[in-house]
Formats: sequence, structure tokens, C-alpha cells
Amino acid sequence: MTAQELVAPPRAPIPPEAAKAFTNPPAIPTVPGPELRIDTPRDGEFAPSSYTLNELLRLTGQNNPTLRQAQLHISAELGKAQQAGLYPNPVFSYEAEQIGVDVEGNKDSPGEFQGGVLEQRFVTAGKLRLSREKYLRRAHVSEHLATVQQFRVCNDVRLHFYRALAAGETLAIRRELLKSSEDAAVTAQEAYNMGQVRRPEVRRANVTLQRARLSVMRAENAQRESFRRLTALVGVALKEGAVEGSLTPEREATSFESELGRLLAESPEVAAARAKLAVDRATVERERVEWVPDLVARGGAGYNFEAGETVAVAGLSLELPIYDRNQGTIRQARADYARQQQELRRIELRLRNRLAMTYEQYLSSLQHAYEYERVILPESKAAYAELLESYKRDRVDWPEVLMAQHDYFDAKLVQVDNLLEARTHEVLIAGYLLHDGLMAAEGSTPAGHIDATPRPR
Amino acid sequence: MSIPQEPSRPPRREFLRTTALAAGGALTGSSIAAAQHSGHAMDGGGRGMKGHNGMSPELPKPIGDPSLGRPTGVQDEYDGFRRFAPSRGNSPDSDYYLGKLVPGLRDPSAGRAPFVAPDITSLPYEMKGGVKEFHLRATPVEAEFLPGYKMNVYGYNGSMPGPTIEVTQGDRVRIVAKNELPEPTSMHWHGFELPVQWDGASELTQNLIEPGETFVYEFDIHEEGTFFYHSHIPMQEAFGMVGWFIVHPKKDWDPPVDRDFGLIFQNFAIEPGQTVSDSWAMDWSWHTINGRSGPFNSPLVVKHGERVRIRILNFSPMQHHPIHLHGHTFWVTGHEGARIPKSAWIPRNTELIAVAQASDFEFIANNPGDWMMHCHMVHHMMNHMTEQVGPRVRPHQSVDAYLANLDRSPGVSSQNSDPGFAVPGYPQKMKGMSMDMMMSDRIVGRRETLGMRADWPMAIMGLMLAVRVLPEDLYHLVMETDEPVEPGSVFTEIVRRFGDPSVYHPAMKMSHG
Ligand SMILES: [Cu+2]
Repeated sequence: MTAQELVAPPRAPIPPEAAKAFTNPPAIPTVPGPELRIDTPRDGEFAPSSYTLNELLRLTGQNNPTLRQAQLHISAELGKAQQAGLYPNPVFSYEAEQIGVDVEGNKDSPGEFQGGVLEQRFVTAGKLRLSREKYLRRAHVSEHLATVQQFRVCNDVRLHFYRALAAGETLAIRRELLKSSEDAAVTAQEAYNMGQVRRPEVRRANVTLQRARLSVMRAENAQRESFRRLTALVGVALKEGAVEGSLTPEREATSFESELGRLLAESPEVAAARAKLAVDRATVERERVEWVPDLVARGGAGYNFEAGETVAVAGLSLELPIYDRNQGTIRQARADYARQQQELRRIELRLRNRLAMTYEQYLSSLQHAYEYERVILPESKAAYAELLESYKRDRVDWPEVLMAQHDYFDAKLVQVDNLLEARTHEVLIAGYLLHDGLMAAEGSTPAGHIDATPRPR
Repeated sequence: MSIPQEPSRPPRREFLRTTALAAGGALTGSSIAAAQHSGHAMDGGGRGMKGHNGMSPELPKPIGDPSLGRPTGVQDEYDGFRRFAPSRGNSPDSDYYLGKLVPGLRDPSAGRAPFVAPDITSLPYEMKGGVKEFHLRATPVEAEFLPGYKMNVYGYNGSMPGPTIEVTQGDRVRIVAKNELPEPTSMHWHGFELPVQWDGASELTQNLIEPGETFVYEFDIHEEGTFFYHSHIPMQEAFGMVGWFIVHPKKDWDPPVDRDFGLIFQNFAIEPGQTVSDSWAMDWSWHTINGRSGPFNSPLVVKHGERVRIRILNFSPMQHHPIHLHGHTFWVTGHEGARIPKSAWIPRNTELIAVAQASDFEFIANNPGDWMMHCHMVHHMMNHMTEQVGPRVRPHQSVDAYLANLDRSPGVSSQNSDPGFAVPGYPQKMKGMSMDMMMSDRIVGRRETLGMRADWPMAIMGLMLAVRVLPEDLYHLVMETDEPVEPGSVFTEIVRRFGDPSVYHPAMKMSHG
């Protein structure tokens, strides 16, 4: 069996005696049955409620989990900062020395010394302050990343809001186009009865009608999909409904250079990268003082069983930085700092790259939307109106009017796409190209783990 | 579905009668026309409709004075042919068979009957040194085909067709032709046997007349008969550049006529929403007689018993016209070349007139009434034919609903519910004609149309016009007084005198306004 044979040929109802006696025109196909309408809300189930953008943004602020994640990243960094700056605890020890030493009478004593010793490390060179500062700067990075996340989420809500809006308008126009196809099917029947078209033309009108019906169903599905995705972003179950707003772009369009300047100056991603650079600088500072020895002092009191009196002990220790002056880590930290400088550059270039693409689509869609509004829609509407007037005065055939009607509705459909695209790219450009509001919030270090070091520095 | 034909019961007629009744349509009669009327054609007409609902319609009151109906001292019968009643005569070989040589009512001492080309002016001339000097300007023209339908064509002196040149056999004429078109033109004197340099066949015989330039034609006329002039640029011909050139014989033709009419038939291709004729077209959507489309062209009004001559020129670009006259048999007495010897005259009801041919018809108007005269080609009997599909053939649908909101289509029910669509081929009668324009005063208010049946304009379209044969008193009432004349009253009066008023139904639309 070949692959082609696997596709069953459709059943074709060809009348055996076509055109030998009058046969009725091929019937207009019926609408798709209930078995294809599993996702269509039944009458009464669909509660028509509508949502505005501001309302949805407010709900999102309260419910989108990634926004909370972003806040928790900041809290985590602040915790580390707190921990890193804590002064080391004193160490208390009980010491017993020279247990069993002989005393007079060749008798073993409990020891030369029994007593308590207190040891305290004195941190030098401002290591704790530097560590705390380093983590506070990391918290600062997380704050910028929280802003990034906020833009991701809000932009995504906006994008999907406009998608839902466009889906609603598309559906309305698709329904008008369906009426146009229904009319064409009825017209084909009439023309067949008048001897003006043949059976294949009637069938072609039937095919077009059924395609229009499928297009309406697809548009209905798309509208539901867009609302469901919007609901997912908002983070709370919303009753299915419509959205209220305008697809018309609002922002004054400016040149690519000015948009790029604004993006690089204000993008929270750039700000986060700059803040990360400050963290890396602080890390270098911190590692440079790491070799400065801490002073560990100890002292205590006890009982000298040999001397039979209470005595004191004292000590001081200091690491001698002869071999390890932390040079390796300092080098690593400096490399990290330099790497982050390149990261900043990389982020700027990547933004320029993404803006180039977005700006092109923004500009093209704006140009389309403006010219559709200014010329193409009025012209096709006028063509339709003029042909209607002509038909009214018996000067033009109805199929020509229907064609103009179809063209007008079709142009409106394209305009919805133009506006949606313009809006989408307007949101992206105004919102620093950030989107994807269900991506987990980023932290300044890989997400979701406590730093492995018990004592961060 | 149509019913197989049975000779005893014409299926279509039966169907229309029953369905129209079933649909609740009221019938004024059982005729097909009435059934179709009540179904659709008159939808929305309503205004002033009387004589409906099957009740016996009231006829307008008698008008005129039948006793004055016939001039005194006029010979009625010629060898069995009767001037005042449809008749043939006793023998086809008789000089009076079908009124062949029956003279008009005109007093011969009053001279020949004037030539009348309705809706076209005559071109004045000046005598200069024994020469008749005419001035013709080739100009763009805005021609009003129907009230409110102004079409852009070319013509002469602001008229399409151009003004009529009338001369007498033996005259010397000078025509000063100025070109006011934006392109070169030339003038051809169609049919004249003139010196070749004045023939006007551009390039072959003369240089073209450039825009703004003038060319003077001058020649002697030895011919007599029906001639015309036209541009010799083909597209300009198709664009309307033609006019009558009538040469009256030095010695009047015999028998004398009472009426001498001239009609120029033309075709134009004008798209919907266009006013410019496409002279490159192969199909023609607008038809004019003397520059106007039916019913805006003027009826020819004659008196009962008169001898009438009608000269018809077919100046269509591509299509011939079989011209048919109702109620009368006419003699073909001449073509554009010359008057035909009487022995070669032919009696006809329909004469095919080819492109650039003219034919002269003569007949005794012995059958009173409003008679149709028309090209018999179906597509020439109306303007801009359209396919009968869409809202106009659907119950409860109108284009206005579409126009009310261009962004929301009113939609359509899934099948045309008109029971007529069970009959293959339905409908063949054009539906949805706009009545308002047809009933405008510029059409039904003209003197020549007074007293015709109220909805006569619905019948006259394209290459059609009415020939009205009126008894003396009714002719006087219509054409020579300013007395008010009710729509339909003259026609009813003719029915009353010459027909059977007991079975006559006046038009459903009794008034306009
Ligand atoms: Cu014709």
C-alpha cells in the first residue's frame, strides 16, 4: 500500500444524469454538528463579563507567583548580607593540663591546670563590613531583577490582553465574512436556477461557505485560547469573558536611535548587570583583605594543682601569610569582575539586536495600520458602498457586490492583525523588550538554592 | 421543479396563478403579467394605487369630444384600405394596398411637413453669396441619457447627436467645422457624392483638423434623401459624433406626409458608477434614441389618419437593430442612399437596420393607441441588464439594509424562500426596477406623454419609444392645450372609443408624485 492510497478518497455525490434533465443544485451544506462543538459553552453557561487592562494588571500584581519569587530573592540576599556581617562568636573552652603530674608524696595530681578559657577572634581589615556590603549589593541586583520580572509579567499581560482583544474583533469580522459566504452560497443557488452558473460553481460556493464556517470556529477557539492564556498569566481563575480596550497604538513613534538610547539608559536588565558589576567589585575588595590575619586572643583562669593556687592563662595567635595571601581567589574575583564588564557589553548588544528586530516589526505594522486606516479601509468600504448603490439602481450584478463586501471585511481582518502587531511591539519597546511572565524570577545567583557556604563572605 | 408540459394545461401559467394566490397576492386579473406584478415588480410602489384587490376598477371619466374625432371632407376609403381603421385594401397590387400611396391629411399648398428629430435641435445657417453656411463645432458633451444620468461623450455644438443640418436638393453648402476637442478630428459627409477633397476621410483626402483649428467644407448637393455627418475617427464615432444631414427633394416626394420624424439609434458601454462611455468595448450597456434612453426619449405623437414618415439611423458602433413597430404595417420607402422607387417598396413590421444604415418608413396611422416601436434585440430593450440574483429577488430583503450599516451585513436566510425558485429559470422578468426615477416629472410630466397609462415608463427602456396615434380632439388636448390631463385618461378614452372598456383595467399605479 502506498502512502497515497492510505488517504481514503472522499465520497463524491455525482448525479448520474446531470444536465439531461433539470436537477436541483447541490444543496447548501449544513452547519457542523454538536460533536464538533465540545468546547463551545452552552447557552447560559457563558457569563458575559468583561475586563479592563488595569483591572487585570491589578489582579496580576496580587496573584502572579513569579512576582513573589522576585521579592523572595531580595529577602534571601538580605539574609546573606546579615549573616555575612555577623561578628564571630567567642569560644569558651575548659582546659585541663598535665593531668597525672606527680606532686609531693609521689601522688598523681588532677593536673597542673584546670580552668576555663575564653577565646575571641578579632576580625581585621573590615572583612565583615566588606562581606555585608557585598551581599547588600547582591540584594540590590535582585531588586533590579525584580523590576525586570515585573516588566516581564506586566508586558506579558498586556500582550495577551491585546491578543484577546484582537481575537474578539477577529471573531466578529469572521462572522461577517461567514454571512458573506452564506450569501454567496444562496446566490449560487439562485444563479443556478437562472442558468447562470453550473453545478461545479455551486459546489465551489458550498466549499467556500464551509471554510468560512470553519474559520469562525477557529476564531472562537482562538478567542477562548487567548483568554485562557491571559488567565494563566494573571495567576487566578477568571470567569471567561471579553476584554475591553482599544487596539489603536497610543505611543508617539520615535526613531530607532532614540528608542535604543532610552532602552540602554533605562532597561532594568542593564541596571541589574551594572549592579552585578558593583557586586563583583566588592568581591574583589573583599578578597583583597582576606589574607590580613585576624587576631585571636584567648585568656582564662583556673586552678594550678601543682602550685596549689589559682592561675591565669593568656594567648594570642596570628596566621602568618607567608604562602597563602589569597592570591588565587583575588585573581578569580578580578576575572569575574572583568567578565561582568563584558557581560554588561553583551547585554547591551543583545538588546540592540532584539530592538532591531522588534523595531522593524513595530515600524512595519505601524505603517500598515496607519495606511489601512487612512486609505485602504475607506477605499474598500467606499467600493463596497458604491457597488451597493449601483446594485440598488440595477446597474451591477450581486456577485460583484459580494466580492467587494468580502474584500472590505477581509481588509478589516488584516487591519486587526496590523493593529495587534503594532500594539505588541509598542508594548515590547515601551517595556524594555521584556516578556514571558511565567518564567521563574531570576536571582543574582542561580535560582532556588541557598549558597552552599555556611559562612558567606 | 417544473411540471412536464401537457398541451391542455400550460404549466408556467398555472404555476404562477396558483403560487401567487397561495402567497396571498391579490390579482387584478388572471394574466401572467398581473401575477408577476403583484408578486414583486410593484413592491414598495404603493403610492396612489387604485383598482386593486379584485374590485372592479373605476375608469377615468370620458374626455374630449368624439364627434370632432375626424376632420371633415377627408377621404376615408381607398380601394378597400381605410385611413381610420386597420385594413389592408382589396389587392396587393393596388396603389393603395396597406395605404401605400394614400396621401396625408396635409393641405398640399402648405408645403412639405417639417422634419422633426425629437430632442435634437436644428442647425441654423446664413445665406452668404448664394451658399448656405453652417457652423459646426466638435465638442465634448455631457449628455443626459436619463434624468440625473449625465454621460460624458463627444458631439457637436454641445449636443449628442449633433444638431440637424437641413438643406434642399441643389443647394450649395459651406460648413465651417471647428475642432474644440482636445484631439484631432475630421468630418465626413456620409453618402454624398461630393468632390473627394471634401470627403473628410482623414489623411486619405485631407489633413486632420487639429484642436482649435477650423476646416471649411464647401460643395454642391445634387442628392435628395436621408444623410448624416460624423467624425471619421472610429472611436469618436463610437463616442457619439454624428448628426442628421437631411436633404429635402426639390420636387416633394409623393404622396405627401403629415409627419417627418428622424431617430438616431446609438449604443454605449458605460460601467456602473461611470459616466464615460468605453468606446473600446465589445458589449453595449446603454442605448439612446436621439441622445436619450427610454423612457426619457420623446414619444412620437401623430393624429389618427395621418401619413407618417419615420427615418431611423443606426449609428451604433457594433450592433444592428431589427426595428419593430406595433399595430401598423409600414412601407420601407427609402434608405440612406436614396428614395426607393415605389415598385420596390416593401411592407414590413420589422426592418433590420445595420450599422451606419438609415431606413425610411411610411404608414397611415389608422390604428389609435400608444404603440411601441423598438429594436427587437432583447438586450437592447433595456439598459445595463443585470443578473437577477441577490436581495432584489429575495423575500423581505432590500439593499437598504446593507447600506444602513456597511460593517454589519444583515445576512441572508440559508435558501431563497421564494416559491418561484421551484421553477427552473425563475425569474425572467426583471425585478426591483427603481420606480422613482421613472416616475419623475421630467419623464411623465412632458406634454408628449400626457394621458398615457400611469406606469408606461416601466415598459419603455433602452431602444424603445412610443408612437402615439391620437384622434383629433385628444391630439388637441394633449399637444395644443394646457388643460390638465389625468394619467391614463387619454389611453382609456381610446379604449372606450375603439376597444372594449368593459374588460379594460387601468394601470395599477394611477398617479405619480
Ligand atoms: Cu438592437
